[in-house]
Amino acid sequence: MDWDQFDMNPKVIAAVKKANIKSIKEILNLSGADLQRLTKLSSMDVQCLLKTVSGTLRKSCVLTALQLYKDKDHSTSQHQKLSLGCSLLDGLLRGGIPVVGITELAGESSAGKTQISLQLCLSVQYPYEYGGLESGAVYICTEDIFPNKRLQQLIDQQHKFRADVPLDVIQKIKFGNSVFIEHAADLSTQQLALLCWETMDTFYNCIAKRISVLLSRGMVRLVVIDSMAALFRCEFGAKDSVMKARYLQTFGAKLHSLSSRFRTPILCINQVTDAVDETDVSQSNFGLLDKNVSPALGLTWSNQLLMRLMASRTPQSEQSPGGALQHTGSVLRTLSVVFAPHLPQSFCCYAVNLEGVKGVKVKTPL
Amino acid sequence: MQRDVGSFPLAPGLRAKLIGAGFQTAQELLEIGPCELSKEIGISKEEALETLQIVRRECHSNATKTAGEPEAVGKCTALELLEQEQSQGFIITFCSALDDILGGGVQLTKITEICGAPGVGKTQLCMQLAVDVQIPECFGGLAGEAVFIDTEGSFMVERVVDIATACVQHCQLIAETHQEEDFQKSLETFSLESILSHIYYFRCHDYTELLAQVYLLPDFLSEHSKVRLVIVDGIAFPFRHDFEDLSLRTRLLNGLAQQLISIANAHKLAVVLTNQMTTRIGQSQSMLVPALGESWGHAATIRLIFHWENKQRLATLYKSPSQKESTVPFHITPYGFRDVHPPPPSQTPAEVEINPRKRPRIEGDKQ
Repeated sequence: MDWDQFDMNPKVIAAVKKANIKSIKEILNLSGADLQRLTKLSSMDVQCLLKTVSGTLRKSCVLTALQLYKDKDHSTSQHQKLSLGCSLLDGLLRGGIPVVGITELAGESSAGKTQISLQLCLSVQYPYEYGGLESGAVYICTEDIFPNKRLQQLIDQQHKFRADVPLDVIQKIKFGNSVFIEHAADLSTQQLALLCWETMDTFYNCIAKRISVLLSRGMVRLVVIDSMAALFRCEFGAKDSVMKARYLQTFGAKLHSLSSRFRTPILCINQVTDAVDETDVSQSNFGLLDKNVSPALGLTWSNQLLMRLMASRTPQSEQSPGGALQHTGSVLRTLSVVFAPHLPQSFCCYAVNLEGVKGVKVKTPL
Repeated sequence: MQRDVGSFPLAPGLRAKLIGAGFQTAQELLEIGPCELSKEIGISKEEALETLQIVRRECHSNATKTAGEPEAVGKCTALELLEQEQSQGFIITFCSALDDILGGGVQLTKITEICGAPGVGKTQLCMQLAVDVQIPECFGGLAGEAVFIDTEGSFMVERVVDIATACVQHCQLIAETHQEEDFQKSLETFSLESILSHIYYFRCHDYTELLAQVYLLPDFLSEHSKVRLVIVDGIAFPFRHDFEDLSLRTRLLNGLAQQLISIANAHKLAVVLTNQMTTRIGQSQSMLVPALGESWGHAATIRLIFHWENKQRLATLYKSPSQKESTVPFHITPYGFRDVHPPPPSQTPAEVEINPRKRPRIEGDKQ
């Protein structure tokens, strides 16, 4: 840290240098009294030092909510959304996935989580006016192999699926070239053999590092982790819950900072667990009593999220099996918002067919 | 000027030298010149001059303070405090049940902490308060402004727009039914745009940025004297990862709390913090408790815990110096934070038709 560039009394600068303080963080970590003792400065000088240092750290000045609202491209605004490529589903989410923050998509197996995330990998590549972010996606597989065939199928059907986009725009996009796939499973099997915390640490670091390399090159504006639970569920026993919580927090914070630094949405796919205990359900099920499952990884992980979506295939299709078949020729599923700062708890039905994931309007059976 | 030399804001070394040389009170220092002082205690002339300047300035400002208003010194009777507190007013939440258990709303000059699991409505209440603090005085509001420090990136401006629009509409309804002149007048300036332009938003990405921001707040608040509410949403996130040294965390958090309370007192504003919940594993069962540990529990004057009970959101007043512990239900509607049962629709049927749910409590206050 070059203290000379600070706009402060030379006496103060000299004292800071003499006290061997190296970074702004170090100053802020010390209490006022400690700083006085270390630098041998008066309390007024220390106040002045703290203010100057803070001012340097917080260069970005204040924004009013009106500025955020009006200036839609601003770097701190949450206005921009990543479209799902279907107007009904976008309507449920008020435009799509927020660009900054971790969004979780939870659901039991075969609920259509992977289908939705594959579709996002494609829609992110569209121009801004069609809800995309004009960039690629990175898809981190941790449990399964990447469904490459399905991706090709979706790419082939894009012209049918996105009827709102002119054909020449679609043809210009090289969809397949911009989806980067990381198979974390290969990594983890090698390292799991060792099963020591040191390696676990590097494993998470490794994932974070790879993502940040792709992000900093500007090739990617969407990160999908499929699935989060597989990363954390198998390696930790019940007795390691404290350790697991710590890793979840560190990893979550890393994803957070990547997301806001590169303005990139992070979609984490999560498994669900059956709720065993009645009281458990009422406490941690976020008001969704009609579901007897809750997303895996517990409260620690939930605290890291901006919004949580839940995909499921059971209840609606059971209520009206005939109706569902007539609609689409496939099973009807629901996508519901569990929590989000800007959305009420609500849901929308959708179907997965050849072209992709589409919202379906259903007359409520009530 | 019998003030003790040790009480002046001087460097510790200098203070020791002064006392070592036999200086005890400010009076003795005021009688002496810089040259003499430098010789006496063996410091350079510049230092001596600076020391004397500090002492003189301090003595001078002290003298004017004691002559002027007595409360500036920090002494006042309990009666004065009570009067001050009563004249301050509250920030209403638009949920009358919650206002009641809080004793009228969110109190100024206090720290209120909202704890709860994700999705239970902490951020919603923060946004609601940021809007409500701006309600004009004639409607029973504070006509203040709000500072929103966001550490999690969950401030969604479109949601604030929803809440602000509903709040403006609500005030318009009151104005229509009462037909009073000052209502109309204050409504002219109370619009969506003015609400949004008086919410000052800071985004902090990690704890150092948060600490730095709090150091800078006093200056910002003196420039924006109408700010009556500072929100930190959330306090827990930056402090819950990458802290190897937990004693450092405790120290920083305590320092932060002290700064916030002094800001709240100096600028007569309310501080609202949100905190996450964590699972404490007990011997027989585990339970949810607010994060950041035991010692942080002392930081806030008022602590609210939001939780789910089946499909109902509940707010429990967990800690308060003046109100008793109790639990009330609340709803989050498209219009914002509201009561579960709308208060009985009052007087004219015209009002009821428009939207009974938006009858909040301002009116109740007026009656």
